[in-house]
Amino acid sequence: MIQNPLALIAEITHRCPLHCVYCSNPLQMAAAKSELTSQDWQRVFTESARLNVLHLHLTGGEPLVRTDLAQLIAGAHCVGLYTNLITSGIGLSRARLKDLVDAGLDHVQLSFQDSKPGQANRIAGTKSHAHKVELAGWIREHQIAFTVNLVVHRQNLDHLEEMIAFLESLNPHRIEIAHVQYYGWALKNRSTLMPTRKQIERTVKIVASAQTRLRGKVRIDAVSPDYYARYPKACMGGWGRQSILVNPAGFALPCHAAGVIPGLIFDNVRKRPLEWIWHKSATFQRFRGEAWMPEPCRSCERRTEDFGGCRCQAFLLTGDASATDPVCSLSPTHSLIQETIHNSSVDNGGEEGLINWQYRSNPA
Amino acid sequence: MNLPYILDSSRPKLAAGCRWGGTEESPVVLFPEGAIRVRGTGRKILELCDGTRSFSELVGRLQQLYTNASPSQIREDAALFLQQLHEKRILDY
Repeated sequence: MIQNPLALIAEITHRCPLHCVYCSNPLQMAAAKSELTSQDWQRVFTESARLNVLHLHLTGGEPLVRTDLAQLIAGAHCVGLYTNLITSGIGLSRARLKDLVDAGLDHVQLSFQDSKPGQANRIAGTKSHAHKVELAGWIREHQIAFTVNLVVHRQNLDHLEEMIAFLESLNPHRIEIAHVQYYGWALKNRSTLMPTRKQIERTVKIVASAQTRLRGKVRIDAVSPDYYARYPKACMGGWGRQSILVNPAGFALPCHAAGVIPGLIFDNVRKRPLEWIWHKSATFQRFRGEAWMPEPCRSCERRTEDFGGCRCQAFLLTGDASATDPVCSLSPTHSLIQETIHNSSVDNGGEEGLINWQYRSNPA
Repeated sequence: MNLPYILDSSRPKLAAGCRWGGTEESPVVLFPEGAIRVRGTGRKILELCDGTRSFSELVGRLQQLYTNASPSQIREDAALFLQQLHEKRILDY
């Protein structure tokens, strides 16, 4: 018996004013003219509430690019969904923020690239830092949850303490420190972004001490970098187990990156109800359960914890989506990861990559 | 490590951005990135956290409801439960 999903991830547009070098969007983005209408989304929200989905994550691209965002939030709120807005904040004035809160917004997650404006703007490929700082103050004027998210990598980890102090000064309820995950744009720029082992060891200590210091005041959630882990992450809490993602054009995916796996056919919410997609679509069933697992996963006692790791990462690194995630120390292809880590500690600090790195582009 | 202790005069309530959801039969408390299903005593305690009731009033109410448990144990368990939720930023007081 398949449980109902807990979360709907709505990528309402792939358009974005930022061009972050580690963007999790696919390289092939959905064109603006293919985007679902407000009415389509309302139907999807209603269907997801019927499936007992609790959380709606409004993300993109930059969700604020959609002029109907307040209407979407109101519609989702109306059917009982908890609405999270995952945003860069670009396009959010004080008045518009109030409209979103009045529409029923529960939580804003504001992303930061760095504590230093120059560095932040270099990562984002646009000037956005100053506005975010101002916006943080406006968010705190409302009775909604406020998370600041900081993406960390080789180029900014050396001043992590300074960045945490900066985030703290924005007075959030929650700080999320997320290591870059290597899909899409980030994989293209991996050699510049991959931290060294030394940096990782330092990071663990800094985060632990900040968690102790801010206990009861700010909750700090840190997502560990899977390349340095012994076992893979339970990606998405397992394929088709907890979340359903609908992309701007209405295609339903088990995760952000699943589009890279060849041979999968993604059903569209314009043609099929969400419930059918969740229960019946071949794609959502493809890596559910354990029947697809190769060894060493199949007989591994951790298989019910990490579900064999990430299918997209397995495909991107080994060419086989059914392979054990190479991040796992038990994987026959684990040397791919060890090599990458090794290279990160012997090269010149990723400096030359800074000149050649590729900024995320925008969809047609 | 000791958690910051809740005071008798503290008036616990759900923190900003945390609210009830789910269904009447299976209620949940929703918060950023998560939800907790609350049943039985936990549900009762959280329902009493409305921001107007002090912790000592809340404990008094629980002691009336659960006459089989020792009053000091009720106080201790409720304090621990609320402190854990406070640390997760689900509850304010």
